Amino acid sequence: MRQLEVALIGAGLIARLHLEAWTGAGASVRVHSQDGRAAELAAEFGAKAVDSLADALDGADAVDICSPTGTHRDIALAAIAEGVAVVCEKPLAADVAEAEEIVGAADRAGVPLYPAHDIRFAPAFARLHEVAADGRLGAGTVARFTVAGYHPRAWDGHASAESGGILTDQMLHGVDIAYWLFGDVVRVHAHYQGEITAPAPQGTSATGTAVLTHASGALSQVVSRWTPTPQPPIRVTYHVAGTGGTIVHDSEWPQEIQVSGGPAGVLGYYGESPFAAEIREFAQALRGGPPPRLVSHDALAAVRITQAAARSAWTGRAVELPVKGAAA
Amino acid sequence: MKVAVLSFAHERAATYARLLGDLPDVELVIADPDGSPDDPSRGRDTARRLGAAYADSWDEVFALRPDAVVVTSETDRRRDLVERAAGAGAHVLCEHPLAADEADAQAMVRVCEEAGVRLSLASPVCFGPAFAAVRQELAKEEVLGDLTTVLGAYNRPRPARSRAAESGALGAGAPPLLDMVDAVLGGTPAQQVYAQANSVLSGDPDVESAALVTVRYADGTVVSIDCSWGPADDASAAGGPTMTFVGDRGSVEFTASPRLVGGFDSATSRERWETRGDDPYAVMIGEFVAAAGRGSGAGPDGAAGVRTLRIVRAARASLRTGQPVELAVPQAARS
Repeated sequence: MRQLEVALIGAGLIARLHLEAWTGAGASVRVHSQDGRAAELAAEFGAKAVDSLADALDGADAVDICSPTGTHRDIALAAIAEGVAVVCEKPLAADVAEAEEIVGAADRAGVPLYPAHDIRFAPAFARLHEVAADGRLGAGTVARFTVAGYHPRAWDGHASAESGGILTDQMLHGVDIAYWLFGDVVRVHAHYQGEITAPAPQGTSATGTAVLTHASGALSQVVSRWTPTPQPPIRVTYHVAGTGGTIVHDSEWPQEIQVSGGPAGVLGYYGESPFAAEIREFAQALRGGPPPRLVSHDALAAVRITQAAARSAWTGRAVELPVKGAAA
Repeated sequence: MKVAVLSFAHERAATYARLLGDLPDVELVIADPDGSPDDPSRGRDTARRLGAAYADSWDEVFALRPDAVVVTSETDRRRDLVERAAGAGAHVLCEHPLAADEADAQAMVRVCEEAGVRLSLASPVCFGPAFAAVRQELAKEEVLGDLTTVLGAYNRPRPARSRAAESGALGAGAPPLLDMVDAVLGGTPAQQVYAQANSVLSGDPDVESAALVTVRYADGTVVSIDCSWGPADDASAAGGPTMTFVGDRGSVEFTASPRLVGGFDSATSRERWETRGDDPYAVMIGEFVAAAGRGSGAGPDGAAGVRTLRIVRAARASLRTGQPVELAVPQAARS
């Protein structure tokens, strides 16, 4: 089988994780970045660095967009115009109109568009969906999701409070899982607290608290936090209930290997990285395998819901979302 | 001390009677004159079983001059019973809600104040030593910094029989969590209330079985609670609420009934889940009786009960409109 040719755009933290995963999946990668760091990153993994987006897209099977959110639209549209499949780091776009434009262009061109929502590939969430999809939770009733993370670097974007601030980004994780599990969302209410505009300093503290009402009637509480202290660097929990019972998870539960009393930041064994599982599934789909567990319309839904959360927090009102085919 | 349980309409009345009967210094009186069409002699039978006195009418029970009463009647009878208890000089432990209507609840608070008796709400966790300890921790500036957000959950097993409004998830599940928040926030009033609910588990559109409530308080604190029913026989949920207090410097998690042992129980083919700590209802009854003996109060007072009632009523209004409900904040509480 011919080797998959992938154009990786960006050379930051996420680009590095994706490059490692593409390399592991057997792809040939050319890296392009506006920040001058492409050559160094490429060299580390034995990949090529190229000087322009056009060079990156030339002959590529897929582009993987890991550059800042504001650049996603132009790169995605350029790739779609060339018939190059798109993998795009979350969020797909900073606003709903741009997300719709990208998804519409991909649909019309028949080009695959795979959003990188890595949380769906984390074992606890993959298992949650498997249990629910097998019908073992029955009809979904109510779920709670929390993600709390320490932001290790100063936040150097330019997010306003009205745009939803820095939490529209992190909250997308919980929102995506709620949508994956319980389907379309018809109403969103949210509060944001803390340092919600960017730029923001290292150790920024902020909390987003959202309630989603799904078309099925199921309810989700999604809470995302930037924590002021670095331990633990990230913590995720969920509690999901249905007519068939409950399923719960807490990333602070004892793992396979627990380290006590060692230096801070030493983590136990957590198995395969979600990025590796994610990129492998995308690579298989690009080679003609089954479609991956999330596609373009999932990314659009996640952007719509997080933007509705931002609007609710800004206006103090619950925001209704139209759902195609649903009764008004 | 003479303590009367007034009515067996509430599902926990029999529990309270048993716990009071176990206390060495308590002379228990039971009154259930309104009875129940299904079980007209439930109060008399319980009194006989516990060796307690039984009063055939409200007049009779108040003529016995109880030192304290536990009001476990239907909601619409609570105001009358609390007023009569105050008239008799008895301290009151009342189930949530005080009344259906806020004006009635406020009148109950006033009449108890004027009579010099303490009105307490039956919110077990608030009476316990673990919650007192968590409140002490939270009061220390270095633990949390400024409290910003509170996340609470109490997924009690679905009730065996549903009695509409009172056993719905919102009415039964929200008050214990809101009372805890009220205690931590020192009575800060709520400013905005948003609620969503469904009836998937109950199957009865009039009985909400899942409910999420988000409240923004006048000091800016955001509180989001899940008071949905849990599965019918979920031991992990039966023990008590959990609450996470998030500050700008750290967070504190409170589990009212932490897990003691796990494992698998072959007899039931279920996961084993045992919690440690005392029965929270026993702790509450003990604290209430001890405080009444001192002539003081314990647990949430009547004013807290009114604040919680106001939030639950606003949550119901939010359910009807699908929008957050703004509450007028008393001038004195504005910062």
